[in-house]
Amino acid sequence: MAYDNSKRANASSLSTMYGRITHNENSRMMKICFCSDMDKSVLLNNFDKRGWMQVTADDDWNFYWAGTQTCRNIFSVDSGYRMHDNQIINHFPNHYELSRKDLLVKNIKRYRKDLERDGSALAEKVNDGGINGPKYLYLDFIPVTFVLPADYNMFVEEYRKNTQSTWIMKPTGKSQGAGIFLINKLSKLKRWSREAKTSFHPAIGKESYVISRYIDNPLLIGGKKFDLRLYVLVTSFRPLKAYLFKLGFCRFCTVKYDTSVTELDNMYVHLTNVSVQKHGGEYNNLHGGKWSVQNLKLYLEGTRGKKVTEKLFGGINWLIVHSLKAVQPVMASDRHCFECYGYDIIIDNNLKAWLVEVNASPSLTSTTVNDRILKYKLIDNILNIVLPPDGIPDVRWNKIPSAENLGNFELLIDEELASQTQEDNILGSMTTGKQRINNRWK
Amino acid sequence: MEELRESSIHHTALKFSEDVKQMKIYNNLYKTVQKLACSPEVCKDDMKNTLELAMKKHGLETEIRNIVFHLIRTSIKSDVKFSMQATDPLNYLRRAGVQWERRVRKSLNTMSAELKTTLQGQVRNQQEKEELQAKWAELSNFQVDLSNYRPVYAPKDLLEVLISLKGPASQKHDDDGVIPRWEFSHISLPVRNLQELRTVFSELLRNEMTVTDWSVTCERILTTRHAPLCQQILKKGLTPTQLRGKIWSIVLGSELEEHHREYWDQLKTTVLSTDSIVDKLVFKDVQLTATNDDQYFVFEDVIYQVMLCFSRDSEIADMIKTDWLNTSKLKQYETPPNNIVPFHGICMFASPFCYLFDSPIALYYTFRAFYVRYCHRLTTINTHNQGIVSLCLLFEKLLQTHEPILWSHFRELQIQPIRVVFKWLMRAFSGHLHPQELLILWDLILGYDSLEILSLLAIIILSFRKESLMQVSTIESIEAVLADLSSIKVLPLVQLALSRD
Repeated sequence: MAYDNSKRANASSLSTMYGRITHNENSRMMKICFCSDMDKSVLLNNFDKRGWMQVTADDDWNFYWAGTQTCRNIFSVDSGYRMHDNQIINHFPNHYELSRKDLLVKNIKRYRKDLERDGSALAEKVNDGGINGPKYLYLDFIPVTFVLPADYNMFVEEYRKNTQSTWIMKPTGKSQGAGIFLINKLSKLKRWSREAKTSFHPAIGKESYVISRYIDNPLLIGGKKFDLRLYVLVTSFRPLKAYLFKLGFCRFCTVKYDTSVTELDNMYVHLTNVSVQKHGGEYNNLHGGKWSVQNLKLYLEGTRGKKVTEKLFGGINWLIVHSLKAVQPVMASDRHCFECYGYDIIIDNNLKAWLVEVNASPSLTSTTVNDRILKYKLIDNILNIVLPPDGIPDVRWNKIPSAENLGNFELLIDEELASQTQEDNILGSMTTGKQRINNRWK
Repeated sequence: MEELRESSIHHTALKFSEDVKQMKIYNNLYKTVQKLACSPEVCKDDMKNTLELAMKKHGLETEIRNIVFHLIRTSIKSDVKFSMQATDPLNYLRRAGVQWERRVRKSLNTMSAELKTTLQGQVRNQQEKEELQAKWAELSNFQVDLSNYRPVYAPKDLLEVLISLKGPASQKHDDDGVIPRWEFSHISLPVRNLQELRTVFSELLRNEMTVTDWSVTCERILTTRHAPLCQQILKKGLTPTQLRGKIWSIVLGSELEEHHREYWDQLKTTVLSTDSIVDKLVFKDVQLTATNDDQYFVFEDVIYQVMLCFSRDSEIADMIKTDWLNTSKLKQYETPPNNIVPFHGICMFASPFCYLFDSPIALYYTFRAFYVRYCHRLTTINTHNQGIVSLCLLFEKLLQTHEPILWSHFRELQIQPIRVVFKWLMRAFSGHLHPQELLILWDLILGYDSLEILSLLAIIILSFRKESLMQVSTIESIEAVLADLSSIKVLPLVQLALSRD
């Protein structure tokens, strides 16, 4: 397989870059045992290449690629399972603080309030004369959102401020576009809530939803709507250590964007989830509607200019970091854990990025050849970052990977490194290796 | 002597000013000068000097200089005049060019007759016209039955013809057919060697500036709007992405003017009102290439518009007029208004421009200028020193001289090396390199006003994958080694190849 030769060690990356065949020498002392809930080829091929041995969950594993439920079970008090120092797992026990739509909103709202209470400059508000009142200058990166049925009255109040808006309803517990619909009249919401209550399935009535202001001015490219899927790796929440995968992609709708009311129910126009788009008539199997973020950048720089493009991508890094900071105090920052999040982001036609949601188990199914190569690299790069230099999982390691192990990831924030650099600054003894770390997130 | 030169300059100037008068921009230009002449800046007692000064001040001088620059560039024909003198050793090549052109036109005509459609366009029925108009911005949703349409020709068809070119020299000593004949060495076209290429591309190796300084310099140069200076920027291969579209349109003289918009509307109207077999071929080509390309699929609707208007643009036919295309042998066949028979992959020449321009109109004119100046030489058999024949010959000579091991490897396998790189050359690498890298490559084409970089890059890629190529022995596996060019970085590779001994 061609992608087996992808750059693992950077020493050989120059030669592999030009398609030369290199031979990996895997000379490890200790055999690493892995366990996986998923038999995805991008995972297994990666573990295979490293010469790891597959075991079951009952055996003594070093590395577990688990489903979220398994992870919660392992960490639950009832299980009585206690991990040892040479074990790591791919989820934080309460990842849902970030990945559940209602909790994410709750955490971000609380984060803003905390900052505001502390008089932080980050919480500065401006009144842009809009009907919605003052806005956060720096923390306005999620569309106005309410949890239903709990915040119903607050929603109605907001709705009445601007009855022209369209709102999007999403069930909090579901993913991949399931159960989502658009609303542009309050009566439609009332009808929905009546139907839900009198439904034959009482469970539906209890299910909670979030309702968000729909971004009705999305950036269109080639007349089509898209969203961004970015991968963010977090290896620790306290101190926060996060990395952004540079090979994210845009997911395109197959149908032209049209906001007319008749199209409101055509979900192919509005939802960019591949799982939704796949059922559309015009889905293309060769590219799967996916376009790389590098191409987006090239296009925006070429047609809109460098400054606005840099501002947009800076804004994206900003919103990722602050969404993580928002959950930082509530996350159980267990040293055995790391997690790769799928960030879904929409860009509006003013080139402002909006966080739509965060997925704690982004799909590892490959839709196209390039998709498979990308996800293979993603897993490979994740492993390089979460494993200490000797390749053996070890929670005592300081989780500071060397620059060449970052692969296609770039450092978003490492509070530990940043504080070290600050101390170094104070001591006046700057070590050259650490200078490149910026601490603008502090 | 001095007098003679004076008068020759005078004659050239007269000729150019006549040419300028024939141009679409002339009217506007003249009006602006008239207005300036009436302004208080111009004094009637010293008309000549004050008017000149005023023209300079209002940027008219640069505009006129650019017009002359483009006029000179397009009027110099390095293609030697078509002489049917029996002694010219390249006559067979010209004959082959006419034959090829005749063949593709004939096959387009045959296809058109078989499918009972027309080439020059029949009136589109009202219903279809309305649908086309309604879907102009989303032509991918315009349903056309394309099951009976095939591309008229593909790179490999042209390649077969090129490989079988027989010059007078090769006919004399015919090999016994065991080893395939070396394809192009018998063609007596002058091509450069690596040493000469190093001199030509020497600007590429002089990079003493930092990137930020450079982009400031570029912006400053861009404000002068001076075409030759802008061309100079491109030679570094470090064109700032955000300036590329502007620079290209100045260098190609394709900056948008009012008459461009009018003409675009006219082309669009022609597309809407007339139906032609070329439309189907355009749809077919976009669907076979850009639609499936993960770098370009998002732009598919823009590409449809551009390629449809392209087919109706008779100005292109005038711009690419070459003497030998006017022979009676060709006149018996009808062609689309632009005189270009579309082939498999033609839309990939337009696709990269989608990364530079948001507006289809701006995109169209810069693409058109690029096509007329460069691309058409890649799809016709001609004796131009940058035509596809010369590029193949250059590739072959460079490979033989600088990669002798690869050369003999190919020879032992009885595989003609040109076979594995031809599609790169014919498409100028579009669809093969990553867009970001492709744009850098095309920067160099524009900057050095030369397609030779294509052959050079082809060699470089083979050379960098030599190790893997040496390990395989079938054409399929060679193609597999060369299939994915997404990791190729144009600038460092070209620099390395030019700098090492």
